[in-house]
Order: sequence, then structure tokens, then C-alpha cells
Amino acid sequence: MTTFRIADDVAWVSREDFDDGGAPMAYAALLPTGRPMSLEGSACLVWLAVAEGGSLDEIVGATALMADAEPGAIRDDVRTLLESLVAGGLVRAD
Amino acid sequence: MTANDEAATGRMPLGARVHLAHALVQKLATEGGVDLLHLKGPALLPDLRPPGRRSSDVDVLVRPSHVARLVVALESIGWEQRTDFATGSVFAHAANWWHDDWGWVDVHVHWPGVTIDAEDAYDVLAASAVIVDIAHVPCVAPDRVGQLLVLVLHSARTVGSTEADFAWSRTDDSEQAAVRALATTLRAEVALAAGLGELEDFRDHPTYALWRHVSTGGSRLDEWRARLAAAPTTRARAKLFADVLRVNRDHLRMELGHAPTRQDLRRRQAVRLRRAAREIARLGRRHRA
Repeated sequence: MTTFRIADDVAWVSREDFDDGGAPMAYAALLPTGRPMSLEGSACLVWLAVAEGGSLDEIVGATALMADAEPGAIRDDVRTLLESLVAGGLVRAD
Repeated sequence: MTANDEAATGRMPLGARVHLAHALVQKLATEGGVDLLHLKGPALLPDLRPPGRRSSDVDVLVRPSHVARLVVALESIGWEQRTDFATGSVFAHAANWWHDDWGWVDVHVHWPGVTIDAEDAYDVLAASAVIVDIAHVPCVAPDRVGQLLVLVLHSARTVGSTEADFAWSRTDDSEQAAVRALATTLRAEVALAAGLGELEDFRDHPTYALWRHVSTGGSRLDEWRARLAAAPTTRARAKLFADVLRVNRDHLRMELGHAPTRQDLRRRQAVRLRRAAREIARLGRRHRA
């Protein structure tokens, strides 16, 4: 079974590291040459779920819990975002 | 649900950028075999950070013998040098680099106020260094006592600064004693006294006037007089005389937003001469009064 985690050479912060309000937001970069990327709203929730690591189902479940959504309703979107993050080198699939 | 190229939009908050830039500098240092310590801002231990205060740049102290390696690493990914060590400040202690995505990095080769050999001073601070996670990357920083000393020494050269007050107020007697002991090891007692409001204890010290000037302010003439008093050798004093009226090209470049032309330099030279003449005249009136 494939599991996902944030790649080793990634630096990232979420809003609570440097601010104390507003919508969920994270910023990440693949070091040393990647440009900073933003993950806003539901994408940030997926990122925070990936930070805990797990399978697609586990990440969908954790995201649904944070977003107060039905897992089945967000599964395709979560998978698409994960594929994009893996392609960009920010997330590692093992 | 998407990830966006934040640098392209220029919307990344300053706080996020500074955190990520600290992590990036650590990554470059690790890969390049560069010893450095992250100072201030997100490198501070959490209870030493004043609430609501945000850094606008990355401050690092690099082992002096590794500075060339760090410069190569920074410039390899697009950081551009904007000031050099000789002209960056009155203490000639730092230079800075700019990157369009990552902002400013201030590279310090020594910390103003510390008067032992810079390489030895680095060893002292690094010996008790701790790991601080910044943007989920382990970064090397001075320990709590070292951080406190760095903050107080920094506030000593910043007019009206209250930056260290918060951190100092969180310390007990034994921690304060440890900071004073570290200052003694680094021969930074005068600057520490300036930062703690105890400078009058060093009234007869050659650097007294310099620290009084940088901690309380004054005219350019006062500054140069203080720098001359603090210069330890005839050679150092001679160099200072030569520097007095020289235009700082790096600062002028930042002010103008472009490399200064000969005409810009001549114009600024004239301004400096007029300002010096005014200050000398004012001083003369003060003495006659």
C-alpha cells in the first residue's frame, strides 16, 4: 500500500507559525532550488494531514475530519492534489 | 484544491518568507560544509520572542574562515550581494544579500561588542549551540545564554531599542550571571553594560563614547569622534580619517535603487562636506556659548 509523507528536503510553515489568524494556509519549498508554494484552505488541510503521514485513505480521513466533510466527497480532489505534490517533489510516495 | 507558485504572485507574508529563508540558508550551509549559527527572529527560543514582533530578514553568524564558502552557496541560487563587510555598518561586521524570492540575508562575521578574535568567539558560541526547528528544518542556534547575550548586544547598538527588554525580563539571577560570564569570556562587558543601561560603569574605557553614541544617538561628528577614541591603533585611526568623508557606495546604491554614477557620488560627497561643516560650526557655537 502506498503511503505519503512530506519529502525530506522540504521546508514548510503553516499560518500559526508566523501569524495568529485567517484561513488555513501553508507555504512550502523544496530546498535548495525550489520556489515557495502556497497551499490555501482545503489544500492546506491536506498538507497538514500529509505531515502526519499515511495512506490515501488515512489522509482523506484526516482531511475530512478537519474540514468537517464527507470523505467520499473529497477523495478525488485529495488524490489529484497528492499526485501534483508528488510530481513537484514536495511529497514522497513510498 | 491546488498548490500555487507563491513567489510568482509575490503574496507570501514576510513571516513565512523569513522562516523558509532560514531553512534554506541552513540547507545551503549543510551542503556546503559551512558552520553558521542562526540569530534572532524565528531562531530565538520561543519564550524569548516578544509577542507580535516579526523579523524582516535572516541573521546568521558564520564561522569567519567559512564566509567565502557561504557566499558561493548563497550566490549559487541567486542571492545578490548588496553591501560589503567594510561598509555595512559602523562595526564593519556584516554584509547583506538580496534574493527576489527569499528576501534579505544578513551575514555576520562577528557580533558587535565581542572583542576577542572572531574565530575564537564563534567557537565559544558554537560549543553550546542547540538545534531549533525553523520551517521544520533543524537549524543551529546559540543556546539560551548565547541568545540572550546576542539580543542585549544588539539592543546596545540600536537607539531606543527595547528588543532585549522582553527576553531579559524572562531571566532569573542565575541566567543573568551566566550571560555576564559569557560576556566576560567574549570580552563583551562594555557592550553588555550599554545594553543593560550600566554603561557609566565603564566611563574610562576607550570604547565608552562609541557605545554611548550607538545606544543613545548623536551627530555624525559625535560618531566619528567616538570611533576615533575606540580605535585601538594608530593605523586604525589613520584608516578612520580616510573613511570620514568617503561616500558609502553600497548605501547610496540602496537609496537610489541603482548603481551610483560619478555624478551621484560627487553630489553626495558635497552633501557630506556641507553636513560636516554645519556640525563643526554647531560644535563651535556650543563651545563658545
